[in-house]
Amino acid sequence: MNCVFSKRNLMLLALGAIIALMAACAPAVAPTTAPPTAAPAQPTAAPAQPTAAPAQPTAVPAQPTSAPSTGGKVISIAYTQEPNNLSPLYTNQWFTANLFDLFLANALITFNDKNEPLPWIAQEIPSIENGGISADGKVITFKLRDDVKWSDGVPLTADDYVFTWQMVMSDKNTVTSRDPFDSVVDKVEATDPHTLVVTFKEPYAPWMTTIFSRVNSSVALPKHILEPVFQKDGTLDNAEWNRAPTVGVGPFLFKEWETGSHLTFQANPDFWMGKPKADQIFFRIVPDDAAQLAAIKAGDVDIGVFISPSDVPELEKLGTVDIAKVQSGYKESWYFNMSADEATKGHPALQDANVRRAIVMAVDRDKIDQELLYGLTKPALTFWDGMAQADPNIEPIKYDPEGAKKLLDDAGWKVGADGIREKDGEKLKLRYLTTTREVRKNTQAIVQQAWKAVGIDADLVTHPSDVFFNSFGDKGPVATGQYDVAQWSNSPKFPDPDTVDWLCSEIPSEANPPGNNWEFICDKDLDALFQQQARTVDAKARTELFFQIQKMIADKVYWVSIWDDPDLWTISKKLTDVKFSGATPFWNAYQWDKTQ
Amino acid sequence: MGRYIIRRLLQAIPLLFLISIIVFVLIMNMGDPLVSFAGRNGQVKGKDRERLIRQLGLDQPLYMQYIVWLIGNDWMKIDANGDGTPDTPGERRGVLRGDLGTSVVTKQPVLKMIGDRLPNTLLLMFTAEIVIIVFALLLGILSAVGQYSWYDNLFTGLSFVGFSMPVPLLALGLIYIFGVYLKRAGLPYFPTVGMFEPSVGKTPEQVLWHMALPIATLAIISIAAYSRFIRSNMLEVSSQDYMRTARSKGLSERLILFKHALKNAALPIVTLIGLDLGFLLAGALVTETIFSWPGMGRLFYDHAVKSDLPVLMGILMLISVSVVFFQIVTDVTYTFLDPRIRYH
Repeated sequence: MNCVFSKRNLMLLALGAIIALMAACAPAVAPTTAPPTAAPAQPTAAPAQPTAAPAQPTAVPAQPTSAPSTGGKVISIAYTQEPNNLSPLYTNQWFTANLFDLFLANALITFNDKNEPLPWIAQEIPSIENGGISADGKVITFKLRDDVKWSDGVPLTADDYVFTWQMVMSDKNTVTSRDPFDSVVDKVEATDPHTLVVTFKEPYAPWMTTIFSRVNSSVALPKHILEPVFQKDGTLDNAEWNRAPTVGVGPFLFKEWETGSHLTFQANPDFWMGKPKADQIFFRIVPDDAAQLAAIKAGDVDIGVFISPSDVPELEKLGTVDIAKVQSGYKESWYFNMSADEATKGHPALQDANVRRAIVMAVDRDKIDQELLYGLTKPALTFWDGMAQADPNIEPIKYDPEGAKKLLDDAGWKVGADGIREKDGEKLKLRYLTTTREVRKNTQAIVQQAWKAVGIDADLVTHPSDVFFNSFGDKGPVATGQYDVAQWSNSPKFPDPDTVDWLCSEIPSEANPPGNNWEFICDKDLDALFQQQARTVDAKARTELFFQIQKMIADKVYWVSIWDDPDLWTISKKLTDVKFSGATPFWNAYQWDKTQ
Repeated sequence: MGRYIIRRLLQAIPLLFLISIIVFVLIMNMGDPLVSFAGRNGQVKGKDRERLIRQLGLDQPLYMQYIVWLIGNDWMKIDANGDGTPDTPGERRGVLRGDLGTSVVTKQPVLKMIGDRLPNTLLLMFTAEIVIIVFALLLGILSAVGQYSWYDNLFTGLSFVGFSMPVPLLALGLIYIFGVYLKRAGLPYFPTVGMFEPSVGKTPEQVLWHMALPIATLAIISIAAYSRFIRSNMLEVSSQDYMRTARSKGLSERLILFKHALKNAALPIVTLIGLDLGFLLAGALVTETIFSWPGMGRLFYDHAVKSDLPVLMGILMLISVSVVFFQIVTDVTYTFLDPRIRYH
């Protein structure tokens, strides 16, 4: 053998050794900045062994199998995004919040697969009738279950909830959100270990999804673990528990998180509703949608998330998975710019409800849903479809191009020489904005044709979603009124019906840059109804108010849905009793089972 | 030689400072730094936004934020509760004192996050680099020796296909062929994504098995490019006068090939590999993403979309240091390969 060649090999080996050394150094430094706990068995050892592999390939098989075999009933779930961290204080991320239903399932109320509220840690749902809510609607008393324990044996008590409230409000913690604790809550008290009393500044109806709820990630922290950390560090920002919540209260307990790769949750044998049927839930981080699809087809994952409608026909043909269509509260919608203010002005024709109606009548929305969304969904009738407050009596606006023409004629918009309608010298030409998402651009094209047939011209504009959704303060095109008709997906505080999007006080302006009312609608009657429902703690009376709101929105054509926007999941046919809720998908994980 | 290396290392210091300033300014202007605090369809608004901007120090002027990143803020007081008076002592020590900071998103020390990912990336990238070098040399030399033979033409054809293959297409193609169709046909197969099967656990065998497809993806494209490069270098060297001299001396073809041809052709190849080695730490974003490999490329991307400055700065500085380091190593390697090169 030639000497030069072997010298080159030596060089490479030397370089390899340097790299391996650098790799070995990095994890070794970490413990000086983060106090080590037993927590996530970070696999520094495991990858380090194979790193040596390229230099000495024979060494690998000889390595003892250090990672233990997990075995048992493992349910694996593909996750297209990795959790930011695992503390309800520090993330609002949908992918993380779902996990709280596994290891930190201590919301007072949860929601089932029909999105109905169920008492969870609260023994019953407080109401005025059962005395849980005071007559003035300002004090809510929760009776907590007394048989729930943290996984280290310490009982879960009202003090844990009070502590959580204190941590949310502490200036020492850079928490994600204080809403609504900083605006409506006066105080949170534990009158005895199993009685929690929340006092509000004014009657507050949406408490079920915002006060110690999974929906806004305000579940309770273990006081006995985290209070000492807070006292020692002065903050919870760097608590080891944020990444390795080894003490939990749910059906599955945190076991391991290898960043970028997976998270595992182990069945909690002492779960208060009995030991879960599965032994382990395994979340595999699969960031690429196409790779997720391949993994589903190969049977390498049991549950797939955020499936694209275009993949559904092929997946259904497989015969190995079920498609779960879960109401998420989101509705793909048309919004009309009703601003008359010069800076944010919409097309003047949009001030007329009949013109808005004609714009909708000209388009066959059912056909769009059939062609672009493979018939998986259809237009929602109201903004609250799929919820207890949805009014079943709302009439849909039917596809009727002739009727649309007549309405426009009657409103004074006559067809001009170029086939486009005009009135007082102004053409009926609408700026139609949406994001760059493929299905939205396709919708735009179909709508443009349909409008053309009744004499409406459309100027199609698309923006990337980060630009499109920018606030008034950040000069977002919709928030600053640079549109006539806009298309995007939105939801109420699902599964609570509350929303602030139609309030006069939410109209964005220089004085109010974060305003959410991007249609610039200020209808005094509608505004009053929305304000009233937010203070009406009586569920029945509140639903009545929502019926009135929905009738008003439908009559005046303030909002129209193009399609209901459910979440699509795949569930392996090997699994049983997986019943996703749109609000809290993993609420019944303790019942999930897997057949071999 | 020793003085040369020291001089190169000293020259690297201002360079790294310049890089850090440019990168810092670019990241700061790159998007909403609070995006990771937002929920499903939105942004952080109103009071929460004001509070977080203050708590994270984003209300400070840019140069001040850079200084804090560089030398920390434990020598000054900050306004943590928003009452207008700075009264809380800072706790950061800064990069120059070994504190890369804490991720805004994960609340973990950046050093730990990089430490978690680096071994995975090096395992994948280093193995791939070895595969690439071995196969590229093999194919390149074979092609050059048998110029215009049937196998040279075959390699030429294949390398054009390989080189023009987009990474996602190649990766998903391999997944479908080896992960989905072979499995469905009941044949031996390779797994689609991840590092191991959850029901078996993370054993070296599992990791090796799961590495096969990502390494194939990384290797095929680079082998195609490098083997062409080696072939043309070998051919160029073969027509030199000293090769004719060597042949006329009656040396064996084998000796001529390895001692005279390859050694001289290796110089530009070493440059290429030297550059590669510096970037190995960066990982391979697309390949890691498709195969769910928990490496550095994905760490960078995940935190780039969340505008997580400490993590991005940490990774970019690490890569910069490594590239500078391996360039020096490459230059030193030249002296082994080419006695004509001497550094002073």
